Amino acid sequence: MQDISLHLLDIIENSVRAEARRIKIRVKANVQKNLLRVIVEDDGVGMDAYTVQQAQDPFYTSKLERIKKVGLGIPLFKQNAELSNGSFKMASEPGFGTVLTVDFELDHIDRMPLGNLKDTLLGVIIGHPEVDFYICLIYSERGKEQSFHLDTAAIKEELGDIPLTYPDVIEYIDQSLNEGIQNTNMEDV
Amino acid sequence: MKTLADLKKIREKAQEEMKLRGSNVRIKIVVGMGTSGIAMGAREVMKTFLEEIANRNLTDVIVTQTGEKGLSSMEPVVDLIEEGKAKVTYGNMTPEKVKKVVVEHIVNGRVVSDYVVATGE
Repeated sequence: MQDISLHLLDIIENSVRAEARRIKIRVKANVQKNLLRVIVEDDGVGMDAYTVQQAQDPFYTSKLERIKKVGLGIPLFKQNAELSNGSFKMASEPGFGTVLTVDFELDHIDRMPLGNLKDTLLGVIIGHPEVDFYICLIYSERGKEQSFHLDTAAIKEELGDIPLTYPDVIEYIDQSLNEGIQNTNMEDV
Repeated sequence: MKTLADLKKIREKAQEEMKLRGSNVRIKIVVGMGTSGIAMGAREVMKTFLEEIANRNLTDVIVTQTGEKGLSSMEPVVDLIEEGKAKVTYGNMTPEKVKKVVVEHIVNGRVVSDYVVATGE
């Protein structure tokens, strides 16, 4: 994975496989605190303490394929956070869901770029119409805070039976995300 | 700023169209979005499908994402599912190949056999 937005996509796909119906995604950049924080919170099946540990082991996978012997998504994300003097925390409870909090030192030389957040978010929103996404981006610098919120439940309610893949809807969500990402300076974090 | 009022207009337009053409989904596209797919460029494949649908105004196609399916060496992998026809799986996809599949397979109904890695069901 070359950037944080690709790791984020991978993590969101985990939440979807865990049968989440609502996924909250927060990305916060705080210049004074020198912190970039990514939080993914889902209401999926959750994991017990043992599985939470196992999930961070590269030779563990929850996928039931014959051939697959590794699960590198979470270990690689963790490694990349730790390389930039950050941290990776996973909290989960069977039956309630999972919260992932990944911190990066904002100006660390080894921190990977945030990358193309829009492509990640657009893909998951449209590719998983059964899941509601709540997205929150916050950028703070010298006491000034810019934020962007998007709740796809409200969009779906307005659309009724019109699918998210309807061409004008794709453009609508694409432009909303673009505006939000630009307004919160997240395009070159 | 995009507002919910804009969505209302879109909904009205779409409903008019559906009255004329029906709301049938002709083709379902499923993009494999497991860890290895993502590492091999599946996100760009997904994005290109969405761009093509918007640009060509394809209203009878839907796109979804799914996890890994055991074809890791051929990622990114895409399934095209058409009612009454065998499922077609395309492998080693790129944005350029996606554009060709959209024109040939989705618009003109001709399978692009060069990119097919599996068929069935």
